[in-house]
Amino acid sequence: MVLGTEDATPVSFWFAVMPGASVQMDDLVAVRTTKPDGSPVHFYGIVDHVRTRHEGVSFDSDVQDVMAGLLPASVSYAARVLVTRVDPEDFIPPQPGDEVRHAQGESLRLALSADKMDYAFAGGLLADGQVLPINYQFVNGESGGHINISGISGVATKTSYALFLLHSIFRGGVLNQRGEGHNTRALIFNVKGEDLLFLDQPNRRVAEKEGAVQGRKGWSQGRYSRLDLPVEPFRDVQFLAPPKGGSGDAIVPDVEQRSDGVLPFVFTLREFCAGRMLPYVFSDAGSSLNLGFVIGNIEEKLARLAAGDSVPYLTVDDWQPEPDVLIDEDVRFDEMGKTRLQTFSQLISYLEYKLLEQNDGEGDPRWVLKQNQGTLRAFVRRLRGVQKHLAPLVRGDLSAAQAERYRPDILRRGVQTSVVDLHKLGAHAQGFVVGVLLRNLFEHKERYGRQDTVFVVLDELNKYAPREGTSPIKDVLLDIAERGRSLGIILIGAQQTASEVERRIVSNAAIRVVGRLDLAEAERPEYRFLPQSFRGRAGILQPGTMLVSQPDVPNPVLVNYPFPAWATRRDEVDDVGGRAVEEIGEDWLR
Amino acid sequence: MPGMRIRLDPWPVDIEDGQLGLNDFGGVLIDIETPRWAAIAARPLPERLHTVYVVDGKRRMESRVFIEDDQGTAGLGAFGAYVVGAVRLCPHGSRQAELMDVRARRVLAHAPGLRVDPCSLSPRDPHTGQLQYTPVETDSAEPLAPLHKLQSVMLQEEQLLSHGLASQVPADEMDDREALSALTLQDGTLRRGGAKYSGAVVGYVKTMQTQYLGADRIGLLSTLKPGERTPIMHLKSETGKTTRFTWYVRLCEASFYQHPMSGVMRLEMYAPEEPDFLPPIVRAVANLSGTLLCRLGSTAHKDPRAPQNLIPTAALEQAMGRAMGSPELVTRRIRAHIAQQLGREVLA
Repeated sequence: MVLGTEDATPVSFWFAVMPGASVQMDDLVAVRTTKPDGSPVHFYGIVDHVRTRHEGVSFDSDVQDVMAGLLPASVSYAARVLVTRVDPEDFIPPQPGDEVRHAQGESLRLALSADKMDYAFAGGLLADGQVLPINYQFVNGESGGHINISGISGVATKTSYALFLLHSIFRGGVLNQRGEGHNTRALIFNVKGEDLLFLDQPNRRVAEKEGAVQGRKGWSQGRYSRLDLPVEPFRDVQFLAPPKGGSGDAIVPDVEQRSDGVLPFVFTLREFCAGRMLPYVFSDAGSSLNLGFVIGNIEEKLARLAAGDSVPYLTVDDWQPEPDVLIDEDVRFDEMGKTRLQTFSQLISYLEYKLLEQNDGEGDPRWVLKQNQGTLRAFVRRLRGVQKHLAPLVRGDLSAAQAERYRPDILRRGVQTSVVDLHKLGAHAQGFVVGVLLRNLFEHKERYGRQDTVFVVLDELNKYAPREGTSPIKDVLLDIAERGRSLGIILIGAQQTASEVERRIVSNAAIRVVGRLDLAEAERPEYRFLPQSFRGRAGILQPGTMLVSQPDVPNPVLVNYPFPAWATRRDEVDDVGGRAVEEIGEDWLR
Repeated sequence: MPGMRIRLDPWPVDIEDGQLGLNDFGGVLIDIETPRWAAIAARPLPERLHTVYVVDGKRRMESRVFIEDDQGTAGLGAFGAYVVGAVRLCPHGSRQAELMDVRARRVLAHAPGLRVDPCSLSPRDPHTGQLQYTPVETDSAEPLAPLHKLQSVMLQEEQLLSHGLASQVPADEMDDREALSALTLQDGTLRRGGAKYSGAVVGYVKTMQTQYLGADRIGLLSTLKPGERTPIMHLKSETGKTTRFTWYVRLCEASFYQHPMSGVMRLEMYAPEEPDFLPPIVRAVANLSGTLLCRLGSTAHKDPRAPQNLIPTAALEQAMGRAMGSPELVTRRIRAHIAQQLGREVLA
C-alpha cells in the first residue's frame, strides 16, 4: 500500500510491503488509483530503494530491547518507486493506501512502454526473469540511434553486452519482422586480445553456466529460452586482421590463437594516396595549425600522384634514391627511368626527399609551400614513427589480384558480421585502420543510402574521440554519431569513462548502458540520466548485469544477460563438437 | 559534623512530582516475612513463568462542554478519551513483545440528571473514521467531576484488564499448586476493590511520595544492590480500608549526584486485612521481582523517568497516545460536529 507518512507524488512514492510479501530493487510495480469521478489512473514504476526499520521506537539501541522481547515494535518494510509511466497521463498523485502490485504480463508491458514499441528486441532479463524489450526504432536510426556503454574494464562487460545486443538483434526476430534480416550487418573492432576471434565457435561452457543460473533461480527455462534466443554462436562471420610484418609474397594474418578463417587485409599504396588516408596517420594533427596545413597539402599532392592508374604501386620520375640512405634495397626502376614506390617506407623516403632534401635541402617549393623546416621535419618524423606498424598494412608490392583479394570489404556478400582485429597494432595504426574503415563505410553509405543498417562496435571511444582536441578519426566518429543514424550506420560505442569521450558522441546515443562504474565517475554529469540511487549502485554491479536506459522508459532498468553462447577465448571453443576425443584424434592421424 | 550535601532528584522538573516525596505515613506496617531487616538477593526467574503483562492506562480530556437537554436541564460535561493496554512479553526473551488491546474508548461525561444521547462524530474526510462517544453520568455536578469520572472509568478498565490477564492463583491458602505462569505488572498502586478479581497482579509505584519506613529502616534502601529487595511487609492504611503486601526493589545503582533512593521502586500486592501469614505466591513474586524489573528497567538517556518507567511501559504509553489520535484533529472534529448540529458552517 502506498504510504501516507511519506509524500506520494506522480513521479515517486513509497509503499509499505505487507508481511509475507517481498520486494527487491528493480522490481516493476503497478498502482491503480481512482479519481473522484471514478475513473482509474495507473502508475507504473520501478523500485529504486527498499528499507526496513523498527517502527515505534526512537533509539537505534532499542533494537536490543526489541530482540530481547521487552519492547514491542513492528518491522516496517517499505520501498520507493520511481514512476516510469502514468496512464492516462493525468499527473495526480497516488493516494495513501492504494494497493501496489508486481507488474507482470500486460502491466509489465505497460510499465516498460512496450506497447509503444512497434519493433522491439530483448535487451536482457529483469531481476524477476521477465524480458526487457528495447525499442528497435531507437536503435536503427528511425527515431533515434546509437548505443553507448560505459563501465570499468576488467570485468569484460562492455563488449559482452554489445555482442549480446547484436545477437539479440540478429537472431531475435526483430529483423525478420521488418524484412531486413539479409542486409543488416555488424562491424566489430577488436582492440584487446584475440577474444573476439572465436565468435563463430560455440562456447563449451555455456550449458554449464546457464544451467547453474537456471538452477539457482529455480526457473523452468534457461535464460536463452526466456529471451527467445538460440544458444548459438554468430553466423556468417568474417575475421579480418592486419598481415604480419616483413616483405614477401605470402600475406598471413598477424594473429596467434586462431590458425584458419582469418583473412588478412591490406591497403595498396595507391589506395592510400588516392583514398586520402594520410590524415588518419596523424591522430594529433589538430595540435598544430601548420602541421595540419602540411598534411593537407601532401595529401593533395599524393592524391594527384596516384590518380590515373590502378596498379598497387606509385611511380615517380623525379627521385633517384641514393643507395646509402635507403632502408629498402629492392627499389625498382621502371623502363622509362621512373622510380617505383612499392613500400610505405619508400613513400616516406620520397616525401622526405621532396620536402627536406631536394634543392640542397630547400625541398621542392611546390611541396614545401614555404612551410617552416621544423614543421616539415615534424611531419616526416611522425611518419617514420608509424612506419613499422603501417608498412605491412600499406603495400605497393602486390599483384592486382592480391590487392583485390585482401582489400577489406566489410559489406562482402554473405557476411553478416565482420570482426576487424586490431589488438596487435600500435595506437596510431589502430586509429588509422578504424578511421579509414569507418570513413570508407561512411562514404559508401552516403552514396548508397540507409537501407542496410550497419552496426559498428567500437570499444575505447575515449581513445578515438577524446573530449579534448580534434583528429580526423574523431571527425569521422562525430559524423557517424550525428549523421550516421540517418545513413544507417549505428555506433555501439563503449568506454570506461563517458566523461572522457566527446560529449556529442555520448549525447547522441539513444540507448545508454552502464555497467560497473567507478563511484567517482558515476557522479559526473554524463551519468545524470541515472537517478541517485542507481549511481550509487553502479559501483557494485556484477559482471553480467547492466543498467539500461532507453528513451521510452524514463528510468534505467537493471538487466542481466546470459553467458555468451559463442566462445570468447580459445579455451572456450567447443572444438570437440560433442564427439569423443579418440574420434578426433583419429581424424588428425588420418 | 558532616558538611551539607545536596543531591538531585532523578526525575525532570516538568513531571508533576519528584521521585521522592517524603510524606509521613500514618498507617500500620508489620513485618510479615521476617523481622530481620536486611537485603534479600534476587532469585532467577522460574521457567514456568512464561508471560509477563505490563498494564497501563492513559486518559485525555478532549473538550469541556455545557449541555442542555431536551427537558431544558443544563449541566457541565466533557468529551474524553482513554486507553488501557498491555504489553505481553516473555521474561526469558523467547518471543517478541507485543501490544495487546490498545484501543481508544471515548466517553461523554455529563452532570447527573441530564438526558444525553450517544454522540457520533462523522468525519468530513472518509479516511478518518467515526468517533463514538458513550454518555457516562458523573457523580456530582462539580466542574472537575467529568475529569474524575474519566479517570475512574479508565482505572476500572485497567483493573479488569490486569486481572483478566494474570494467572489465577490462590492468594490466601496454603497450597502453591497452581503454578505462577503469567504475572501482571500494573502501573501505579493497586486499585481498591481489585482483590476480589484475584490473580497475580503486582502494582509498581515509581515514586516514593510517602515515607513508609521509619528513620531506623530507611537506610537499607540506600544500600540495596540492583535486584535486591527488602523483606515483605504488611501495610494497612491510616483509614484501615486498604491492606497490601509491599516491598522495595532496587533497579539500578543511583548516580552519585542523585539522592540515594533514586533507583528504588516499591511493589505491592493485594493482602487480606488481617496479617496472619504470608501467601507463598507473594513471596514467589517478590523473589523474582528484582530480576524481572532489572531486565525491564529503562535507561536514563532514553527515558527521563528511568529506570522506574519500564521499557514496555514507555512503548505502551506511546502506542496509547497514538490510539487516541491527534488532539488537535479530535477537537477540530468536535467543533465541526457541534457547528453542524447548530446548522452552521464553521471554519475548523
